[in-house]
Amino acid sequence: MTQTSLTEIAPAVPARNVLEALHAVIDPELGLDVVSLGMVYAVTVAGGAVGVEMTLTTPGCPLHASIEADVRRVLGEVPGVDDVSVQLVWDPPWTPAAMSDRAKRALGFW
Amino acid sequence: MLPRAGAKGAPPALPIAALLAGAAALLAGAGWLAFAPRALLGAVNAPSLVGLTHVFTLGFVGLVFAGTLQQLPAVMLVTDLAWPRLGLVALPLLLAGAGSVVAGFAAGFAPLPLALGGAVVSLAWLLLLAQLVATALRRWPKDAAGQALVASVAFLALTVVLGFALAGARSAPGVAAALGYPVRLHLTTGMFGAFLLGIAGAGQKLLGMFALAKGTAQWRLRLLGLLVALALLAEALAAFARLPLGPRPQLLLAAAAALQLLEVRAILRVRLRRRLEPPIRRYVLAHAFLPAAGLLALAGLPAAAAAAFLVGFVGLAVSGMLVKILSFLTWTARFAGGAGVSAGAPLLRDLFRGELEPVTTWALAGGAASLSATLALRQPALAPLAAGLLLLGSASQLAQAVHVVVAALRPVRSAAPPPAAALATTEEAGG
Repeated sequence: MTQTSLTEIAPAVPARNVLEALHAVIDPELGLDVVSLGMVYAVTVAGGAVGVEMTLTTPGCPLHASIEADVRRVLGEVPGVDDVSVQLVWDPPWTPAAMSDRAKRALGFW
Repeated sequence: MLPRAGAKGAPPALPIAALLAGAAALLAGAGWLAFAPRALLGAVNAPSLVGLTHVFTLGFVGLVFAGTLQQLPAVMLVTDLAWPRLGLVALPLLLAGAGSVVAGFAAGFAPLPLALGGAVVSLAWLLLLAQLVATALRRWPKDAAGQALVASVAFLALTVVLGFALAGARSAPGVAAALGYPVRLHLTTGMFGAFLLGIAGAGQKLLGMFALAKGTAQWRLRLLGLLVALALLAEALAAFARLPLGPRPQLLLAAAAALQLLEVRAILRVRLRRRLEPPIRRYVLAHAFLPAAGLLALAGLPAAAAAAFLVGFVGLAVSGMLVKILSFLTWTARFAGGAGVSAGAPLLRDLFRGELEPVTTWALAGGAASLSATLALRQPALAPLAAGLLLLGSASQLAQAVHVVVAALRPVRSAAPPPAAALATTEEAGG
């Protein structure tokens, strides 16, 4: 699955905890969380500011606004986080190979 | 230019209304057939059968295509839809014009409603084509799927204009003398240029997306589009220049249909999602009717072949995508930018009533098969069966469509840890 890059600069909260929190953000179409789907490329924590670099299954995904809002809402509830920025990127593009093994099994992969 | 998230379509109520109207049109057509199933046993150019055909093509398929075009270009072309409120004009025109055309056929080819309806439907589709071209010009599609979508809508507009010309030729000797009566060109352009190419283009993108396919070759869809275009050019030459081309156009069209079968097979072979959702399974099942239609055509049964192609292939494919696209539209209309699943919004699949999907699929498939059999065998006993199954399938489809919309409007449940979050483990964090 995708190796999420974790960067910390005098963090108010460990980047690993931010990534854990992102497991609560669910793709409404696939029914799986964005971390297990391999959509989260990088998490940067600088003080209380959190930056998330992530992608979606397809660039025109109509669910983008909801997923992005969910990321902001979920991370906004993490103690110590006072600012959240989300950057959607398309390079590298998402592929199903980025998913965790358990997520693949949940979707009935071959 | 890099694609960006959030390309905007029309206001969601527009495509949602068009998709619901399309599903209602199919039910109305099936109800009409159930009321008069013996229409299937008369001449294929009898007013009632031509009227029923146009309820299906202009009403069901046309409205679903038109509604989808208010959202799908933003997804496929990844750019904002041009003139996003144009649908407020085009979709009511389409609905009114289709109704007038069908009324004209039902009244025994009444010239006035046919001419009026034909003009209005033509105007509506030309507006929708202009909107799609203006959208595509913002970010011209480089992929075969996007190009096929644009070409299919151009062919659809051409089909409607040709139909309008046919209505003119029927009532005005001057038009007939100038154009002849190119009914075969009208049929072929609609079935292959608009429907096959449209389903192939949108299907390559959507089936790949919903099945989580790793991507397929572009050449197959490009070749399919080229074959269809060449076949339609040949048909036009045969119709207007009286060129004796023999079976060449049909061979090209058969090759195009075969490519679509290969394309779907290729997508399914590289998919990673093993369990396809029921509407997507319906879309895939639709393709079983393509070889059936080909065999019926080879057997010299063109009406039965057309029924298998239109109601079986096109009907099932459009029905599957209708339900799937409607769930996306209603979900995003209700929850976009607001509460996500973590805040209590349902998953898309929670908007469906699971028990309706097999009813829709198998009743529509059975109805299409028995409809073709009725036309092939001229068996009176089969006609009510075909009508009854199509009525059941279309009622189930409309019930599902309404349920999807109503389910999305329900109040959000209180936030709770979603079951899928159980996948989260520390071993996955950070890879």
